[in-house]
Amino acid sequence: MRFLLLASLALCLPLVGLAQTTQRKLFPYDYAIDDLPNGLRLITVPTDYPNLVALYVVVQTGSRNEVEPGKSGFAHFFEHMMFRGSENYTSDQRDTIMKRAGAEANAYTADDRTVYHQTFSKEDLGEMMKLEADRFMRLKYSSEDYKTEALAVQGEYDKNSANPISKLYEVLRETAFKKHTYSHTTMGYLKDIKDMPNQYEYSLEFYKRFYRPEYATIVVVGDVTRDRALALTKQHWGDWKRGNYASQIPTEPPQTEARTAHIDWPSPTLPYVAVAFRGPAYSDEKKDKAALDLLASIAFGDNSELYQRLVLKEQKVDFLGPDFADQIDPELFIVLARVKDPKDVDYVRDQMLATFQRFTTEAVNPAKLDATRSRTRYGSAMAMNSSTAIAYALAPYIALRRTPETINKLFDLYASVTPEDIRAAAAQYFKDQNRTIITLATKASTATNSDGKEGRN
Amino acid sequence: MRRTLKISLITLSLLVPTIAHANVQNTMSAKPATPASVLQPNRSPLVSFRILFMTGAASDPKGKEGVAALTAAMLAEGGTRALTKQQIDDAMYPMASSFGAQVDKEMTVFNGTTHVENLGRYYALISQMLLDPGFREDDFARLKTNAINFLKVSLREGNDEELGKEYLYNIIYAGHPYGHHNTGTLGSLERLTLNDVRAFYRDNYTRANMVLGLAGGYPADFAKRIETDFAKLPVGKEAKARFEQPKVNAGMRVEIIERETRATAISMGFPVSVTRASKDWPALALVASYIGQHRSSNGHLYQRLREARGLNYGDYAYVEYFPRGMFQFTPDPNLGRSSQIFQIWIRPVEPQNAHFALRAALYEYDKLVRDGMSKETFEATREFLGKYSNILTQTQGAQLGYALDSRYYGITDFNTYLREQLAKLTLEDVNRAIREHLKSDRMRIVMITKDAPSLRNALLANEPSPITYNSPKPKEITDEDKVIQSYKIDLKPEAVTVVPVERIFQ
Repeated sequence: MRFLLLASLALCLPLVGLAQTTQRKLFPYDYAIDDLPNGLRLITVPTDYPNLVALYVVVQTGSRNEVEPGKSGFAHFFEHMMFRGSENYTSDQRDTIMKRAGAEANAYTADDRTVYHQTFSKEDLGEMMKLEADRFMRLKYSSEDYKTEALAVQGEYDKNSANPISKLYEVLRETAFKKHTYSHTTMGYLKDIKDMPNQYEYSLEFYKRFYRPEYATIVVVGDVTRDRALALTKQHWGDWKRGNYASQIPTEPPQTEARTAHIDWPSPTLPYVAVAFRGPAYSDEKKDKAALDLLASIAFGDNSELYQRLVLKEQKVDFLGPDFADQIDPELFIVLARVKDPKDVDYVRDQMLATFQRFTTEAVNPAKLDATRSRTRYGSAMAMNSSTAIAYALAPYIALRRTPETINKLFDLYASVTPEDIRAAAAQYFKDQNRTIITLATKASTATNSDGKEGRN
Repeated sequence: MRRTLKISLITLSLLVPTIAHANVQNTMSAKPATPASVLQPNRSPLVSFRILFMTGAASDPKGKEGVAALTAAMLAEGGTRALTKQQIDDAMYPMASSFGAQVDKEMTVFNGTTHVENLGRYYALISQMLLDPGFREDDFARLKTNAINFLKVSLREGNDEELGKEYLYNIIYAGHPYGHHNTGTLGSLERLTLNDVRAFYRDNYTRANMVLGLAGGYPADFAKRIETDFAKLPVGKEAKARFEQPKVNAGMRVEIIERETRATAISMGFPVSVTRASKDWPALALVASYIGQHRSSNGHLYQRLREARGLNYGDYAYVEYFPRGMFQFTPDPNLGRSSQIFQIWIRPVEPQNAHFALRAALYEYDKLVRDGMSKETFEATREFLGKYSNILTQTQGAQLGYALDSRYYGITDFNTYLREQLAKLTLEDVNRAIREHLKSDRMRIVMITKDAPSLRNALLANEPSPITYNSPKPKEITDEDKVIQSYKIDLKPEAVTVVPVERIFQ
């Protein structure tokens, strides 16, 4: 108990005074970066949260790297294979060790990254690092296990399939992107998932390409010292051999026409409308992404005028929100709404479009901009409320720039964005020819005259 | 385990927010004049509130199912007398704070976290929300429609896994105060009026029902101030509501929900007379962890159904209610109940494997009940749970929530309690608890599938359900498959019913 009191005391120091000082760093923890000669990077973030350590291994590969036809979903599938045993530990032995450690262990895959994460008691760090290194350097699985795991991945697709939003995102991506690999979801197409059992050889190739030290960053957060983390990294990961593969990700050509698609959903649902514009890639130097991040909240967040009108006042929509991820390559700025009555779909879509249009000519209210900056800073501080939460918040930025410093740079950028920067970014990106609209509704209950009825294109 | 990141916005929006760490001091008081409290002051810059009312869906009057949830929604998501919802949102916005409600059978908790710099402003809002609600018509219309759409569309038609789990509770608790979904029923929701909400608020939001949970770096006199402010609530009667076990007839029953879906979801369970307050709870919690630790690859069912056979994405077991399990790794606190069920969750399988998967789960379950746990699995699971409890209570908000639950169940600090109980536990205790509590002939099973009549026929005929794989399997598995594919499930025709999905939650 006393440990916790001390922990909290230490923690409050960097956070108190958040509102007053814009120059204070948003990522308030001291951290150390150590690069091994093989290209592997270790980031250690000691915190005062006692007893636990969060160990995250961030690999800079994801569905973005699935460049070959028929291989959508492979990065995610491969993530599953990383739990199927290595030279020195069978899958069962691995599970036994994890169980003894009381660890919470899992992994996830996104467009630009694959993240292996575990939280456990600090005394188990040595064994965890050894275990983890073995699968990253000496993965070993049989073709039988490989094929069985492909079925579990299909099970994952199946459990997601009841939710219409899974399908909506699949169609949105393939409609908005024609060349770039963001055209498919991280889960991948069902036809490709069904073909995964036949891709054993490719899985070995995939491992050889991406599971290399130059693609990986080890993030250790919690009750740990830099010396200890570094010694363990050198001991267990020092011999990992650098690779030489670089993905050639196709560049998406400029969009030249507005696109639409409609999905007939086989079971009852409320209709959805997604309006998306091609946006910029993540940057901690150029202002356009930061400007649009702030606008996403101002124009389409829970506190936006549009939300207040459609959700609170007119009550035509029961969900409205933006989705604009930080990605390596240019990403979609998406706004999604769920409409209560099919006859209102066109109206809601038009209101969303008018809001996009409005901010291309009208500067945002400076007070609202300041409130949004405040929200972003407090939100970030409140989200990092345990060692696990800190590591979790870091992972996407590590995949993008391999350093926590990018968070500070990004928030400095937020601090410098002006209403005119936002207007200019909106005018640059929210053009008709950059737009994709997807609608989804129960077959036969679709609103008439919606321009979303042209079928996929 | 192992997931893709794209979590839907809608899905997230439907979750009740849970919050933020550091447990220093618990104080409890139960004087009638001021509400009881669980206080955990520390030096964190964040302040977490969990304001608990000992009321919930089990207190919904007959014919007014859903009024507890709608009342909580009106407080957390509606305006006050002085401020509209929009004005509250505007005020919360720069603080990045919110105030959410979670309604269960016996507990309704309002929770939120704010930075200590914003504490005064934040508290002024939330105290007003709870003490001086606006009960405005426009909020009522919106929140009632949300509740209806949640049941009718999001749950019934968009999440087969949660649908299966929730419907399982509905059938086990049929005729019991727990017998309807926390959100209500579609029929009753349509009929609810604002006056019903007002009446529920008046009768249930009382000092006797309230427990103030507060953690973080708040000022020394802050808790006192809250207690004084909340003394304006009516005194009310002391909450003593404890609910009986449901009466479940002997025999296994299957309900097959028919809907247009590509996979088959399966949930099963039966009531157990064990809660966190019972001496056998640590033993049963250990058994559930062994057979199916939530979202872990270590559970036995996961190993046999998913790892060895690739039947689905995961297979887990529970001794406590754990809603929204597909979205989170650890359960939310403040879902305390005086009656719980033992539950197995088989994540969706391909329809042609549904019969086999059900048999496999029952085969493993029956084996556990027959043979008990081995010394080796007992010790490994005990070690796991002893450490894992630190992960459950990593954040200030979770520690506060667990402390409130410990107060409800009459146990000490959860981590200490679990550690001490596990240290005392023996393999014999666990195997006795299995025989005593899990040997049930009242299993209830919910399956959700497209072709319900065929599945029903197959189940009733006890037709063999052989399984084929895409790769050779070890002899141990193929031998076991031969037993499982014909594993007898004793079902009479009247015990297997097909339910059109439109009838659920009516």
